[in-house]
Amino acid sequence: VALIFLILAPAAAGLWLLGWARSTRGARAHDVALAASIVALVVALFCAWVRPEVDAPWVPALGLRWHFALDGISIPLVLLTAALTVGVVLHSRGREPGRGADGEGSTATFYACLLLVEFAALATFVTRDAIGFFIAFELVLIPMWVLIARFGDEHASEATRADASNRFVFFTVLGSTLMLLGILLLVTGSGTSDLTVLAARHGSGLPAGRQVVIAALLVAGLGIKVPLWPAHTWLPPAHTVAPTAGSVLLAAVLLKMGTYGIIRVAMPTVPQGFGVVAPGLAVAGVVGILWGGLACLVERDLKRLVAYSSVAHMGFVALGLASGTQTGLQAALFANIAHGLVSGLLFFVVGGLKERWGSSDLTVARDALRETSPRMGYALVVGFAAALGLPGLVGFWGEFLAVYAAWSPAAGRPTGLFRVLAVLAVLGFALAAGYALRVLRLVWAGRPDEAGAVAGAVAAVQTEAPGIRTHTEPSGALEQAGATAAHPASTGRSGATAYPGPARQSAPGSPTGSLRWSPQGPTRADARGREWGVIAVLVAAVIAAGVMPRPLLALTARESAVIINGVREPTVVTPTSTIVEAGR
Amino acid sequence: VISLDLGVLLPVLAPVAGAVLVLAVDVALPTVERVHYGLAFAALLVGGGGTLGALGTAAADASRTLCLPGGSPCFYAVSGLSATLQLAALLAAAVTLLLAWPLEQRREAGRTAVMVALVLAATSGAVGVAAARDLGSWLVTLELATLPVVALAALPGTRRAIAGAVQLLTTSIVSFAVLALAAACWFAATGTPTLLSGSAAAASSGPQRGLLSLSVVLVLAGVGFKLSLVPFHAWTPTTYAGSPLPIAVFLAGVSKVAALGALLVVISAVTSLGRPGLVGVAVLAIASMTLGNVMALRQDDVVRLLAWSTVAQAGWVVLPLLSVTALGVSASAGYLVTYLVATLVAFTVVAVTLRGGAARAGRRLTAYRGLLRSQPLVGGALALALMSLAGLPPGLLGLIGKVVALRPVLVEGWWFVAVLAAINAVLGVAVYLRWFRAWPSTPATSSRWRWGASPWSSCPWRRSSSSAPSGDEGPDGAGNDAQCLHVSQTCTSTSTGSRPPPSSARSGPCSSASAPSSPGADSSGSSR
Repeated sequence: VALIFLILAPAAAGLWLLGWARSTRGARAHDVALAASIVALVVALFCAWVRPEVDAPWVPALGLRWHFALDGISIPLVLLTAALTVGVVLHSRGREPGRGADGEGSTATFYACLLLVEFAALATFVTRDAIGFFIAFELVLIPMWVLIARFGDEHASEATRADASNRFVFFTVLGSTLMLLGILLLVTGSGTSDLTVLAARHGSGLPAGRQVVIAALLVAGLGIKVPLWPAHTWLPPAHTVAPTAGSVLLAAVLLKMGTYGIIRVAMPTVPQGFGVVAPGLAVAGVVGILWGGLACLVERDLKRLVAYSSVAHMGFVALGLASGTQTGLQAALFANIAHGLVSGLLFFVVGGLKERWGSSDLTVARDALRETSPRMGYALVVGFAAALGLPGLVGFWGEFLAVYAAWSPAAGRPTGLFRVLAVLAVLGFALAAGYALRVLRLVWAGRPDEAGAVAGAVAAVQTEAPGIRTHTEPSGALEQAGATAAHPASTGRSGATAYPGPARQSAPGSPTGSLRWSPQGPTRADARGREWGVIAVLVAAVIAAGVMPRPLLALTARESAVIINGVREPTVVTPTSTIVEAGR
Repeated sequence: VISLDLGVLLPVLAPVAGAVLVLAVDVALPTVERVHYGLAFAALLVGGGGTLGALGTAAADASRTLCLPGGSPCFYAVSGLSATLQLAALLAAAVTLLLAWPLEQRREAGRTAVMVALVLAATSGAVGVAAARDLGSWLVTLELATLPVVALAALPGTRRAIAGAVQLLTTSIVSFAVLALAAACWFAATGTPTLLSGSAAAASSGPQRGLLSLSVVLVLAGVGFKLSLVPFHAWTPTTYAGSPLPIAVFLAGVSKVAALGALLVVISAVTSLGRPGLVGVAVLAIASMTLGNVMALRQDDVVRLLAWSTVAQAGWVVLPLLSVTALGVSASAGYLVTYLVATLVAFTVVAVTLRGGAARAGRRLTAYRGLLRSQPLVGGALALALMSLAGLPPGLLGLIGKVVALRPVLVEGWWFVAVLAAINAVLGVAVYLRWFRAWPSTPATSSRWRWGASPWSSCPWRRSSSSAPSGDEGPDGAGNDAQCLHVSQTCTSTSTGSRPPPSSARSGPCSSASAPSSPGADSSGSSR
């Protein structure tokens, strides 16, 4: 009952806001949404403790059942979803998009969409029915589409928003329909759509050829959502245009549905078929790592950059999944959660910056973030440090273990290929360091010489800037290549920057320049109140989970052993725990 | 002597009796109008009541009548499947009549009786064909379901209506010829005039099985005209757009039920289509989906869009027939029902919008801008209907319909067709989202804004901020200022008031920088 309540609380509140509360004031809509999301979080915590299970028939003609349950794989994702929704709702207070244009009614619609996304994501994570999984997976689409198309970036033209939102829907629908084909094949082949039963059978009774077809369809379909490399092109525009709240949910929750689907629907039910498909998945993942990393090195838009870094991070998840070992699976699950926290944090910060700057263009020279808004700057540093896989932060464990697992994949996987992929993935770490430090240099350390900042800030930054920049040395070549590519105009890292033509005429700190940037002085622009609260909690989570990864790894150990070995009561020998010990 | 059970025949007889009664009342009292509608609704209600008893019965214990002495064969048998189709046809006819309901008394009351009688006659044909089990009544009832519609389409007498009706007539005649040929082949192959599985099974293993396959393929072609499957679809958009909206609804509703009912009678009788027949079904289905969706993407007129959407949906309806089993047949009927519900709702909303004053403009996609805000209930209903047609939640009906329709295809192992259908599902989403797109926005102040070409799309904010060559950007952004000013002036001058211009003091890439060099009064107040 608690489980049904968990998923129905946001749905009911969302529908209420959508249908009957159109005329309510924005503040009231916020309160309702906040209450609903907090209730959902509390119930989620309760469910994580009790682990209830519901099983009742729904559509007998299709063999569809209300079968909901929680286990070690879904609990972290459910908690992440519930917690981030609370954060998103809190963060949106007073900054709901579309307020000015359409009045209060649209605020209710905005919160309704947030809650409906939460509802669909929670339903996806707790359902144990293959067809129910498909339905829940599809439920996300329309609310998210509305968030992007209707509440998207006000600076983007309507056509841009339409393009981004439509791309999101079309790619995802293609993916989910392919997944549906795979699910239908699986269900008709084995006669049940109950994922628990299917997992217990571990693929017995399905001929190998059919398993390969099913696994290929499932991985291709879910891979679009993850997104894996050739099908990732919907993600950057969607992230760029979506409002902050939408970006956070998209990155932290929706992308997880793809990997969760692979873990829940593909891996345990058709293990042999998945084994055949796995090298392809691994290759797509590693290409994604490199592609995302290289794109980040030259990307000019900060939000797009974070989106591309998501592609890279999800590539590590795919690599871990493809390795077929328990370590790899646990690494993937950990990296999943890690990416949820880190990308959530980054999108909060970057969305906040975009709000303050009016754009998220990196080529526009601005004041140092650590001067104008030290809190945002600090959060940005933590976020990107976690993104580059700094040990001690949450991003490290999952990706490190994924590479480790890829180095020694399960029996039957082509070891040589996986080792090459592992090496290439390590190269992805270097790329991550390159782009993360590039962003920090441009945004956090700032370019006071170019920005022409307020006088005090100029002095402070100029004295410290060289010190900051030496940090970029380890990955200097790559980083510099990226930076130069992005700024053909700025030809060096020294303070003496040569500008071509007319730009040279106005000296740094000229009246025009200071007038331009003065509204964003240090007193106004920093995060405070709710925004800072949400960001601070996320920062704390990123650090805490990085320092103590064991609870999360222990939570997933049992279920991942079941998935890999196909036994119900595994002997809990976790290579992961030994590695973690060694890693310390 | 042949047995006769009037209770079983009630769904067919009630509309016929209603039609006769309407004509009789019209002779007696030529001025009344709404009485006709009342009579028609009563007839449909009685007919609908007659179907309820047979709903859900298995094919084996169908209620039969018109049996030859000795108990078999029977020429009329109602299984759960046919009862479902019959009920669907009666409901669709009721919706048609509701949409035709006159708001004010008109002078040409005589036409009402004719119209109502024709609708009832065609409905009884559609109801009858789903349960017909012999070639004669199968052909006659199918034509009874078609020919009155030609008259209905021509009834307004306008040029567009006549053009549509002539196209429909030509198609119907060709279709009838093909079906008659199919009936002849069937008779030659099986030696009996009955459409029963026993006779077909005997023939399919005998020397005449080629003839039997030909017969089934011809049935598919003939019914394809009525279902508007792709090579036979050309009449659809013209006739839908030319005829009055209730008649378009009738074509999209009752006619489709009749056609599928006729097809399913034959498909249930044969045990296998043979490889060529199955490939034919697959090609028809995929071609219909693809062409229907692609053409629907190009329409600006909602009725034409819905017409092409019925072409695409017809592909989905016949897709499950790749599995010539009870599973395929029931999946096809199931998908038809979901299609029917969604299409009827969509047409009803269009009709309501057309009545709401927007006579001609209500047919354009742009007339629906802001519908969800101005009329939440109507807009919500249309949204649900379109999402159902697209197979997206919250249109759960269509989502489940999609699952149901794809399952038999996969059971039979047609992966390739299933993947093509999946791609078409995406195309379908594109079609319906294109219509849905502008609804949640504020209502348009003037309807001349074309979809996708609203003034804001000419305001290149993104271009000014992100894709400007970085050489232009000096420390003071001097190169950008002129460009931005120009842009913001474009924006403020083109947007006519339903939304404030997107540039404001706190936001906008160039908002706070334009003061010193501002040559004219920039309306966004950014010089502070």
